[in-house]
Amino acid sequence: MARTGRPRTTDLGLRIWGILVFAFLFLPIAVIVAYSFNTGRVLASWQGFGFRSYVAAVNNDVIVSSVITSLQAAVGTALLATVLGTLGGIALARARAGLWWAAALAGLLAVTMITPEIVDGIAFLPWFVTLGVDAGLTPFNNGMVRLIVSHTMFSVAVVTFIVRARMAGADRRLEEAAADLGATPWQAFRSVTLPVAAPGILAGSLMAFTLSLDNTILSSFVQQPGYTPWPVYIFSSVRVALRPEVAAMSTVMLVLTLLALVVVGLVLRRSGESSTAIVKTIVR
Amino acid sequence: MTEPLRFLGPEPVARQVARSVSRRRLLAGIGVLGLGALTGCTASTQRMADSPAPDGMVENKLNLYSWGDYDDPELLDRFKDDHGLVLQVDSFGSNEEMIAKLAAARGTSGYDVVVPTGLMIPQMVEHNLLQPLDMDRIPNFSNIDPEFTGQYFDRDNTYSVCKAWGTTGFVYDTEVITRSMESWADFVDAAQNEADGRTALLEDPWEVCSIALGSQGVSLNTTDDAELEECRRIVVDELAPHIRAYLGNAATGMAQGTVSLLQAFNGDARQGMLEAGEGHTWRFVFPTPSANLWMDNWCLATGAPHPDAAHAFIDAMISPEAAIANVDYIGYPVGTRGLEEQAREAELEDLDLIFPDQEVLDRLEASEYNEGQQARVEIFGAAQARSGA
Amino acid sequence: MRRLMSRVLGPGALAFPTWAYVVFFFVIPVFLVLFYSFGHKPDEFTAVATDQLSFDRYGEALTGAFVTTLGATLRISIVGTLLCLLISLPFAYWLAVKVPPKWRGLLIALVLVPFWTNFLVRTLGWQITLSPEGFLNQWLIGAGLLDSAFDILYTRTAVQIGVVYNYLPLMILPLFVAIDRAGRSLREASYDLGAPRWTTFMKVTLPLAMPGVVSGCLLVFIPLTGDYVTATVLGGASGSMVGQLIAAQFNTAQNWALGAAMAVILMVTTLLVVAVVGALLWGGQRLAAWWNSTPVSVEERAGDEGGGVR
Repeated sequence: MARTGRPRTTDLGLRIWGILVFAFLFLPIAVIVAYSFNTGRVLASWQGFGFRSYVAAVNNDVIVSSVITSLQAAVGTALLATVLGTLGGIALARARAGLWWAAALAGLLAVTMITPEIVDGIAFLPWFVTLGVDAGLTPFNNGMVRLIVSHTMFSVAVVTFIVRARMAGADRRLEEAAADLGATPWQAFRSVTLPVAAPGILAGSLMAFTLSLDNTILSSFVQQPGYTPWPVYIFSSVRVALRPEVAAMSTVMLVLTLLALVVVGLVLRRSGESSTAIVKTIVR
Repeated sequence: MTEPLRFLGPEPVARQVARSVSRRRLLAGIGVLGLGALTGCTASTQRMADSPAPDGMVENKLNLYSWGDYDDPELLDRFKDDHGLVLQVDSFGSNEEMIAKLAAARGTSGYDVVVPTGLMIPQMVEHNLLQPLDMDRIPNFSNIDPEFTGQYFDRDNTYSVCKAWGTTGFVYDTEVITRSMESWADFVDAAQNEADGRTALLEDPWEVCSIALGSQGVSLNTTDDAELEECRRIVVDELAPHIRAYLGNAATGMAQGTVSLLQAFNGDARQGMLEAGEGHTWRFVFPTPSANLWMDNWCLATGAPHPDAAHAFIDAMISPEAAIANVDYIGYPVGTRGLEEQAREAELEDLDLIFPDQEVLDRLEASEYNEGQQARVEIFGAAQARSGA
Repeated sequence: MRRLMSRVLGPGALAFPTWAYVVFFFVIPVFLVLFYSFGHKPDEFTAVATDQLSFDRYGEALTGAFVTTLGATLRISIVGTLLCLLISLPFAYWLAVKVPPKWRGLLIALVLVPFWTNFLVRTLGWQITLSPEGFLNQWLIGAGLLDSAFDILYTRTAVQIGVVYNYLPLMILPLFVAIDRAGRSLREASYDLGAPRWTTFMKVTLPLAMPGVVSGCLLVFIPLTGDYVTATVLGGASGSMVGQLIAAQFNTAQNWALGAAMAVILMVTTLLVVAVVGALLWGGQRLAAWWNSTPVSVEERAGDEGGGVR
């Protein structure tokens, strides 16, 4: 779009602004990466350069187990939220306008998204205790169950809406055609509906995974020792003394995430989706 | 990023809802479900989850809930290695925080060993938050100085073993506050002058109120309404607007450089000074007229999932060898026999901060849990809100 | 068999698990909170009792320091949302319009990276940066740019910086998508018709990006109002937000009734702000449409075009 006679200052200004925003976005991350090489005992006071904190982080049982807990909870959440959200999303996309249960479900899911996380947190703990101790449903006394159930609750809306958005664009007649050609509803569902919904399901499960992995406030209410997720571990160590181990483990996780992003990007590129389109699927 | 994209596309949804849901029907359905849950919950609020009985086999996990940085990490590591278990240490900044956690979870908190201050123990026992210790499994209990057993809060040590004792005072940067500070009145004054906006208080309602009560020269455990009202005025109106932070552990605040005057437990202040290194300008004060004489205790939480490991842990931590290492790290006497002599022999730094003089000890007052506590909690809440306003 | 399957796989049945889950794990617990908010705290060691129900806790919350903090929180969230919008608008425009398409994917991925780094960790990065003893201060003093260290850690300013930072990507992404979707051809048509770029931006791009602005603002404003982790890490005593007060009722004071009442007030206030701003926007749009009818027809055309993308 090279055009003549237009002021170039705006373009230049925009570019500088873009670079500044990126600098702003990456400043604290760069700080954390830099300070992960601090050999001192306290994260914030720089002593010298070294890999001591990486060794210490990997050998710290509690740090390692909290990261594992987080990953397990995120996988569990992604699975559960994806199943529920896919079913809900397909159902919502297919429901005729004006069906009371569809509108109410969509409304409720929207409410789950605008509820401040702290309300979820204070609501869940007494509820889990009621279920686990009073009603004798002992699985709810387990920390991992609590994490997955609560994380799923606030991820399910995201997955549902992404899948619904995806299905809304799909042609229902495909399934009808499959039925006319003699497919059982299950066959039609499996070989027509699911593949159509697949990109939405993938995007949704990624979101659920991310939401779970990053959740702090809700987790800090429902967590138990032994099932302390990584963000809650960091949050509680903020109050005592932050050690460079936290930064080291974060850096490791950052690098792993970047690698995973590259892999996902390559896979999606192969399947013909542009990254812009992916972002659009997620953000819509 | 807490919850990215939680507001995906609901605008059409909202419109749809408004158009087509029979709201009454929805509410009715929810009401029926909800009511059942509520009655079920209020009927048996105090039921607790059970703890497995100790069977002599040390479990492969142990969860400790204690004050921040309150045990020598090397000791913890050694215990962990000796028993091949995963030890998780979580920290709290006040007794209230710990009790809230245990009470809300009703035996499902997952914690085994907790470390409450003595004054809380009778109430915690009454509300079924603690379970009795099996002293047969803690042979090192005989190593505790009789002076620190059979305290008023647990006469026959059914529920508790002394973990450490200490007192409360304040620490200040002598470069910022150049005058000599000796009393709580000095503290209140300096917080409003030299250390305005650079003062930190503890996260504990009783301790925060003790500053004001001390500055007035009245009993720190007072239940007198007028005295507590004066305390509220001083804490909320005079102190709170000048407070930078409420900290559980003063050592953290000393390292960050954001505060110059901190209410602190003696051992935490010592830890902060040791971390600041040679040539630091901090000075700790055992303030007049009085201050808290507190004692923290090893206890077993109700519903503790790993009772054997918990007993083994308490026993290991009060063994003679562990005791002196822990004193050196945390800066508090741990209540074992002949500790002060051992500390002298081991040439620990800043001994006078660990073991206050008899003259100081004589004027201290042990914190009690009495009917003034609710007022203290409210004063503390109001102070925190005022500092944030 | 076939009929059974089609019933099982029908929309109503498909939605049932999701329905049940949301009712059981959201509606009931949240109603429980609502119920608690009418209760009271009987004694120091009991968190809540519901034998006598009243609105007293609401009165208690609305007369205490809670209101001041709520006001401060709203200020932080509104200022934060506006700052995010001001920062993101030119940035998203640059990303969607100025950056060559082959770089666009990479740059969006870069915006997402902070997203995938734990938000507490990023906040800690700010804690280190803003600390008076931190590297930034030392560099600035060393370079002679500052005489003495800036001292904003544990202040409102620090919290404001922290929240703008933490929620910025949530504003950038929907704006980017909206501007991108607004379509290049319309802008070009506008240029070709001789409209200056500023006019084009104001009359074509911005109105078309409005859905993005709205969802971005909601995505930032709502979680920001309930956030208290950022304030805890960066705010100290003076940066307190309502979320901290609510959490304290549950985590230390053990006054669930009061905490629940505060939470309900927070939710209602948040929704009120959203509703008021929404009404103002709607009114503004109506006014603008009445004032000048051209952008409306453009919007309708773009709306049809956008339908296919979904």
